[in-house]
Amino acid sequence: MALPLTLRSSVTPPELELVASQQLIEIVPLISMEKTAFISGAYGPLRPPNKAKIPLWIAVNLKLKKKCHIIAPSWLNVEFLQERLTLETSRPDFSSLPFRFAEAAKVILDVASDDLENPEKIRSLLKDLREARQAKSREGLKTLDHSELSLPNLCSMEINEIRPYFLQSMSILTQLVRNPISDPTHRNA
Amino acid sequence: MDFDYFSIDAILAENQKIQCTFKHEIPGMGHLGGGSERDIAMLSKIQIPIWLAYTIIYSDWAEFNIPTPFGSRVRNALKAEACSVRLSNLVGAGGLWYGFGKTIMDILSDEQANEMSDMLSKTFRDRLPEVIDQAQHFAVLGQAGAGGSSANTAQSFREGLDTSERELFSLAQESAKRTKLWYEDSGRSKH
Repeated sequence: MALPLTLRSSVTPPELELVASQQLIEIVPLISMEKTAFISGAYGPLRPPNKAKIPLWIAVNLKLKKKCHIIAPSWLNVEFLQERLTLETSRPDFSSLPFRFAEAAKVILDVASDDLENPEKIRSLLKDLREARQAKSREGLKTLDHSELSLPNLCSMEINEIRPYFLQSMSILTQLVRNPISDPTHRNA
Repeated sequence: MDFDYFSIDAILAENQKIQCTFKHEIPGMGHLGGGSERDIAMLSKIQIPIWLAYTIIYSDWAEFNIPTPFGSRVRNALKAEACSVRLSNLVGAGGLWYGFGKTIMDILSDEQANEMSDMLSKTFRDRLPEVIDQAQHFAVLGQAGAGGSSANTAQSFREGLDTSERELFSLAQESAKRTKLWYEDSGRSKH
C-alpha cells in the first residue's frame, strides 16, 4: 500500500468533519430560495422568517454569506454541556453525547458563534469534556485486552484518534497472549 | 508485529541467535559454530539462529536454554518496574524484544510458553500507557520543546523502546498531532 502508515487505519479529522457536515440542522434563512434538489435529497424551500432544516454544509455556506442564522442544536448550550461535564467527571463511564458532536460543535462555533449564547463558555466546556474523556480512554488503555474492547458512547472523533494505536496494540497483544481461554486474569469486560 | 511469511519483523526476529547444547555428535557440521572444527562434539554449546534452531530442536539433536534477554534477571527487573527496563538494549538487531520473545515462545513447551507469554504480555501492558502518554505529550510539544533536561527518566524510557513500541509511539504521536491540528485550526480561511 502506498498510503502512509498513519492513514491506513483511520481517516483524517477533516474527513470526519465532511461526514458530519451532512447532518441536518435548523436555520432561520434571511433569503428565500425555492426547493432545490441535491444528490442527498431536496432541501427547502427557504421562506424567511420560517425555520428550515438543511444540511450543515449548506448552512455554513449561507451563514458565511450572512444569509441565515444557525439555530444551535439542543445539545449545544451551556446548561446541557455543563450537565454532561458533571456526569463525565463524577462517573467512570463515558456520558452519552451525539456521535459527531465534536465535529458539528466545532463547525458551528467557527462560523456561527454569534448565533450562540455564550460561545466562549461553550468552547471551554467542550474542551473540558474532551480532556475528561481523553483521561478515560487512557484508563481504557491500561486494561486493554487482546480480543475485545468496549468503550460505549465514545464519539467519532475520539474513536478516530485512538484507533491507530489501539488497533496496533491489540494486534501485538494477540501475538503475545498465548492461551486466551486459560488466562482469565487479564480479561475484563 | 505480525508473523506472516513476508513480515520483515518476523525475519529479523528469527535472525536472533540462541545457545543450543547438542545432544549428539554431528560429523561435518562444525562450520555452524563458526569455528575451524570439522565436527560438532557432543554437549558442545553453539549459538544458532532461531530459524535454523527450530529444526535442530524439534528433531531432538540439541536443546536450548532460555536466552538471557528473557532470563531471570530481566524477569525480576520487569516485575519490579517494567518501564525502567531498556528493552532495546536487551536484544541486538533493531531491538525486537517482543518479536524475539514470541519466536522463543513458539518453540517452548506449554508450561514454559505460558509463563513466557504472561511475562511478555504483562510487560507490554505495563509499558503501553507510558508509551502513549509520552507520544501524546510530544505531539503537543512539537519539535521545539522536545529537548527538556528535566525529563531524564522519560528520555531513557524512550531510548529503551522496543521496535513495536516505537511503531506505536509514532502512530499515537501522529494521530494526536492530527487531531490537535484540527481542533486548533479555525479552518475558515478556505471560505
